[in-house]
Amino acid sequence: MAANFWTSSHYKQLLDQEEVDVVQPLDRDKGITLEDFKLIKMHMSNCMLSLSLSRCLVVLDISKLAQHVKVRQRVVATAVTYMRRFYIRKSMTEYDPHLVAPTCLYLASKAEESTVQARLLTFYIKKIYSDEKYRYEVKDILEMEMKILEALNYYLVVFHPYRSLVQFLHDAGMSDITMTHLSWGLVNDTYKMDLILVYPPHLIALACIYIATVYREKDNTAWFEELRVDMNVVKNISMEILDFYEGHRMVSEERINAAFSKLALKPETAR
Amino acid sequence: MTEIDLSKKVADRYLKREVLGEGTYGVVYKAIDTKTGQTVAIKKIRLGKQKEGVNFTALREIKLLKELKDPNIIELIDAFPHKGNLHLVFEFMETDLETVIRNTNIFLSPADIKSYMQMTLKGLAFCHKKWVLHRDMKPNNLLIGPHGQLKLADFGLARIFGSPDRKFTHQVFARWYRAPELLFGAKQYGAGVDVWAAGCIFAELLNRRPFLQGTSDIDQLGKIFAALGTATASQWPDLAYLPDYVEYQYVAAPPLRSLFPTASDDALDLLSKMLTYDPKARITAQQALEHRYFSSAPLPTEPDKLPRPAPKRVSKASDFNPQEGPTVFSPPRKSRRVMPEREGFEANAHRVDKIEDHAGEMKQTDGELAGRNEQVPMSVDFSIFASRPPSRPTINSADRSHLKRKLDLEFQHPE
Repeated sequence: MAANFWTSSHYKQLLDQEEVDVVQPLDRDKGITLEDFKLIKMHMSNCMLSLSLSRCLVVLDISKLAQHVKVRQRVVATAVTYMRRFYIRKSMTEYDPHLVAPTCLYLASKAEESTVQARLLTFYIKKIYSDEKYRYEVKDILEMEMKILEALNYYLVVFHPYRSLVQFLHDAGMSDITMTHLSWGLVNDTYKMDLILVYPPHLIALACIYIATVYREKDNTAWFEELRVDMNVVKNISMEILDFYEGHRMVSEERINAAFSKLALKPETAR
Repeated sequence: MTEIDLSKKVADRYLKREVLGEGTYGVVYKAIDTKTGQTVAIKKIRLGKQKEGVNFTALREIKLLKELKDPNIIELIDAFPHKGNLHLVFEFMETDLETVIRNTNIFLSPADIKSYMQMTLKGLAFCHKKWVLHRDMKPNNLLIGPHGQLKLADFGLARIFGSPDRKFTHQVFARWYRAPELLFGAKQYGAGVDVWAAGCIFAELLNRRPFLQGTSDIDQLGKIFAALGTATASQWPDLAYLPDYVEYQYVAAPPLRSLFPTASDDALDLLSKMLTYDPKARITAQQALEHRYFSSAPLPTEPDKLPRPAPKRVSKASDFNPQEGPTVFSPPRKSRRVMPEREGFEANAHRVDKIEDHAGEMKQTDGELAGRNEQVPMSVDFSIFASRPPSRPTINSADRSHLKRKLDLEFQHPE
């Protein structure tokens, strides 16, 4: 396991759910609800996840673009984490998600040592966002980079569930293709929620394995019981993930668009 | 150089003082933190020319130093944007170990050397515990604070390790401190590379001059084998499998004692363990700290009793000598290790190679051996260097373009 999670800034920065579920006053004034806030973050996470190399998940129909920007899973996961951390402190009214998301991707690619050029990103922004007013240029990304760094208080090291996931699956003797794909896909989907800001990554990995074993009707109770982790927390995370899937069925494009249009009430205040 | 305006406060907090030097990626100046009254060194990060935002090297340093808090690691106190540039605030350090080693007015007792080594290894052990490789250990990057504390600095080449299958570039470290596995092109390496460099620094403290001063990578291995004997498969089973392995003529090791006449037996024992060829058999930083050298007499000197150079006048800027002077943060010559320009680096790097490279060094990154044992052409006039000691190699330009390719373009070859 690379680096020590328990002494990391990531561990020290873990938050309570209530601290994460905060809509900034400026956004609230526009009528943005917690639900809208979550939807927008989810939508932007989806956009970023669709750029990753992951073959386990096809989110949006922009796979043509994904072939051009091949971003490692880890980079996207880090980018989504940056974005979610950012919006704990900043409003979407002042900082347009359409610019913050690609900038997070840009910053994460540097921090994770596999750089994506800013001009490439602006190219994809233009492709992804059909709306003229979201067409940001390189200089916008670079300006935003500095603001994001500041908002993150320059903490850039993020831990993810992927590494422990692989180790756990191996340890449990469940590292066959179907289990790996299913649980890996589940982990990807957790980035559509704020779990990474609240729970240690290895517990998120365990929750995904737990769901996968239940789904595939495998009995791994003994293996789970041998682990020295708080299974209540793992079960809570699993429930949150399942609740998310439940709620996700009701999410329509209209609802996402409605949330964005509330945000766009005064477009000139963006960025 | 920026003008010095003493009345000017940066970010409502820092009172700017004199410029200390040109760092790896921008100007470093001294400042007073009005919040704490502390003297600090502020690095102003130049933004990349080709619009690539916050400098990659700087970002690395920020990322890692935010996670590494230890008495023997330089403290990143603050970071802030100002007029579009990112500024990093570090604790102010008076001097560095290179300056101490080079200063002939300073006498280093065995206890002093022990103290410097102990602090170096403590900082290193902490990095390794946190799975961070420093990858640029050299006396010049070991800074010394106002109370004699030694701290590891310059994490611009450092990175997190730990995934066993991760491949890294071997073009790290200034050559004289580069471990044999790196010189043989290993791409999977670990904390041992830092320990080797620390061993070279130990040797340098004992003899007061750089231990293995190779002029090319090939020559560096030659110097290593001349001093420590040619590596054999029995000492180092993986040797022949390294990517750039070439067989060297067998040379027997002279007794280590003959190279370090003044060192104690314990010192030599530890040194030999740090300079063990096989990285798997090499002592770790933590084990080195537990070596009897550190518990036997004489005990390490208290940091604030260590000999240090007299503070120099900063105003004597006209007395230009880039090899000396108060190298407080990143000294002027380190500007050679900047990331090359973003634009058209291929053509650019090539041109830089031609200009900067001395005698046949440039070809080696391509794995060619053309530069092997090549003599410096007589037409090159080195007499201007004769008056001062040979300049320390930083990473040369060929390395740099190679490194750049590895660092910036890795996204084209995702693993």
